[in-house]
Amino acid sequence: MSKAFGIVNFGANHIWVEGLHDYRPIGAFSFLGRYRIIDFPISNMSNSGIDRIQVYVRRRARSLTEHLGSGRHYNINSKRGKIHLLFSETAVQNDIYSTDISAFMDNLNSIEHVHYPYVLIAPSYMVYTMDYSALLQTHIDSGADISLVYHSVDNAKDKYINCQTLNLNKQKGVLSLEPNRGTAKNRNIFMDTYVMKKELFIELIKKAKKTSSVFTLADIVNSECSELDIRGVAHRGFFAPISDFKSYYDANISLIDFKNAMNLFDDNWPIYTRTNDSCPTQYFDTAEVKASVVSNGCLIEGKIENSVIGRGCTIKKGAVIKNSIVLPGVYISENAHIENHVIDKNSKIIHVKDIVASPEKPGYIKKGDTL
Amino acid sequence: MKHMLAMILAGGRGTRLHDLTNKVAKPAVSYGGKYRIIDFPISNCANSGIDVVGVLTQYESILLNSYVAAGGRWGLDAKDSGVFVLPPREKADANLDVYRGTADAISQNIDFIDAHSPDYILILSGDHIYKMNYAKMLEYHKSCSADATIAVLEVPLKEASRFGIMNTDENDRIVEFEEKPAEPKSNLASMGIYIFEWKPLRKMLLADMKNPDSNHDFGKDIIPAMLEDNKSLYAYRFKGYWKDVGTIDSLWEANMDLLNHNNELDLNDPTWKIYTQDMTTLPQYIGPDAVINRAFINQGCIIDGEVKNSVLFTGVKVGSGAKVIDSVLMPGTVVESGATVTRALVADGVKIGKQAVVGSADSENIELVAKRVKGVE
Repeated sequence: MSKAFGIVNFGANHIWVEGLHDYRPIGAFSFLGRYRIIDFPISNMSNSGIDRIQVYVRRRARSLTEHLGSGRHYNINSKRGKIHLLFSETAVQNDIYSTDISAFMDNLNSIEHVHYPYVLIAPSYMVYTMDYSALLQTHIDSGADISLVYHSVDNAKDKYINCQTLNLNKQKGVLSLEPNRGTAKNRNIFMDTYVMKKELFIELIKKAKKTSSVFTLADIVNSECSELDIRGVAHRGFFAPISDFKSYYDANISLIDFKNAMNLFDDNWPIYTRTNDSCPTQYFDTAEVKASVVSNGCLIEGKIENSVIGRGCTIKKGAVIKNSIVLPGVYISENAHIENHVIDKNSKIIHVKDIVASPEKPGYIKKGDTL
Repeated sequence: MKHMLAMILAGGRGTRLHDLTNKVAKPAVSYGGKYRIIDFPISNCANSGIDVVGVLTQYESILLNSYVAAGGRWGLDAKDSGVFVLPPREKADANLDVYRGTADAISQNIDFIDAHSPDYILILSGDHIYKMNYAKMLEYHKSCSADATIAVLEVPLKEASRFGIMNTDENDRIVEFEEKPAEPKSNLASMGIYIFEWKPLRKMLLADMKNPDSNHDFGKDIIPAMLEDNKSLYAYRFKGYWKDVGTIDSLWEANMDLLNHNNELDLNDPTWKIYTQDMTTLPQYIGPDAVINRAFINQGCIIDGEVKNSVLFTGVKVGSGAKVIDSVLMPGTVVESGATVTRALVADGVKIGKQAVVGSADSENIELVAKRVKGVE
């Protein structure tokens, strides 16, 4: 049993994924065919022995509540543990007042009532795996007030734009947080993951609210850098913030490579998700599938290359799908040609046969659309 | 549905499945890429609105007991609902005894059935693969005012001597039952699915328990006795896919049936899903050099080689340059690079080493591979 309870936090207002975000929060995005993004933080917590988990939801909660359900599929003790959905009461789309701090303020009672000395906060928009029990131990051993998890990258000039970065001193002390504006190659990308005492967390929420009505948790932590002992803890392995459309597309495509996938997945670190009771996938005699990730319940007669196929998709004869992310329940008719696209859930490609975009600027087909 | 209770007979060993049933009973044998055979009758019960399902286990029941006890898998975990594991047990007023026959298995659990006070009892076999709405069968049973209703399947007349055959009148009332007749008079084969009125059946079972000449079997004793008593027994005609997979060849064949376009079993039907244990695995990873042609593949498989005309269960690995042709690979099978598997059924978790060759294209029977096959260095 962990000394910490978990919080799955939503991303700040500058994070917006064109298209998909109109229908659901990032945590509920389909990922790599069979997962939702929120499966990663919750499985990390569950595997780390954290079985009291608060999930904060700002807007369009339907698909997220449906996916999380009772939370039993996350292997959390069904009596002692709990996944608690908490709603931001003041949420309005693109409203600058709709911050994580305001959601925490709305639910302060629920935070105060949890009997755990520590809190671990992870974002619902980032894909990575990490042992939080080791992180918590590192935090306790260091004597720091707050530990922040970061990932050192050397390609921050054109990736991770708008993600927060950490400026660290040689002892890994955090000097400040600053958004990545793409001005330097080497950056420590902040993974929006925090560990601290619960009491300090509550103090920071209240202080943030007093300081500014639009402050986020990252803002208040930044402004406390000179007052508190805040340290960075490095993360290794695969990580992908889903902060815009391109990063969603790229994260899916990069995990088609099994070597990359092995940097994220581990047999001893299961990523749980909700079962849909789909049957296995049927490949017919005309199917031609290479370098792809395929989910269950599909009927495949066409050609698939370097793509991710969600649950229950139908790909008819002569259809070609290349470098694309196909979400669950999509129907692709005979001889359709799809390249460099994200096809949202339950859409049907019937009358339009050529749906092609460039790899630099992948295209998007709306949820439930018929083309 | 509170007035009909289902009892599934799941005690059989399935001897002709050889090594596949050394450690598990036949109903626990894997089928169709992700299922176990018993998922079919239990899912049928759940989809038919039956709330209480008893599973009568006996042979090598450890895995089966824990598997079926988690009723939540089939949604059978609401209030007053559940899957109950019923192995033979010691009772205050009787000696501990194994189930002596299909009818005895029910007789020994009369107390369990009474506790739910059903009007009707549905007897099922845990060995069969099919989808059936038992609620419709009950409606038919009621509309015939029958004492018992037996589901039957029309089989080709030349194969009828392999089955228990029901001879019926023009209203499908059963007039005669013949077990494996040499010269069958009808082609209506019993599917081992019965609906009885509980109270009269209860009386018959109590009498049967004490009868030293009885085999305590529904087909051999109870049904013939009812016919002799001039009870009204009706045949309920079932149309659709139904398989009793008694041998390695027929288990292989039933898996191969799933490769056909619009196959009759249609596991993809969203209105009649077959539920099973939820496995935590990756999606299917199909490598850059993979060739997949006519295959039924489950989640967690990693395929770098060639798969043709085959069914691959959860988490199967096919290495680069390996070939899997006309075969069924059970969960966790590993076919290492360069190996060839043809016309084989590979048991759970078996590893086939590099460059090894298993099975052959012109073999008469399907080769069962139940032990590790060493690679060729």
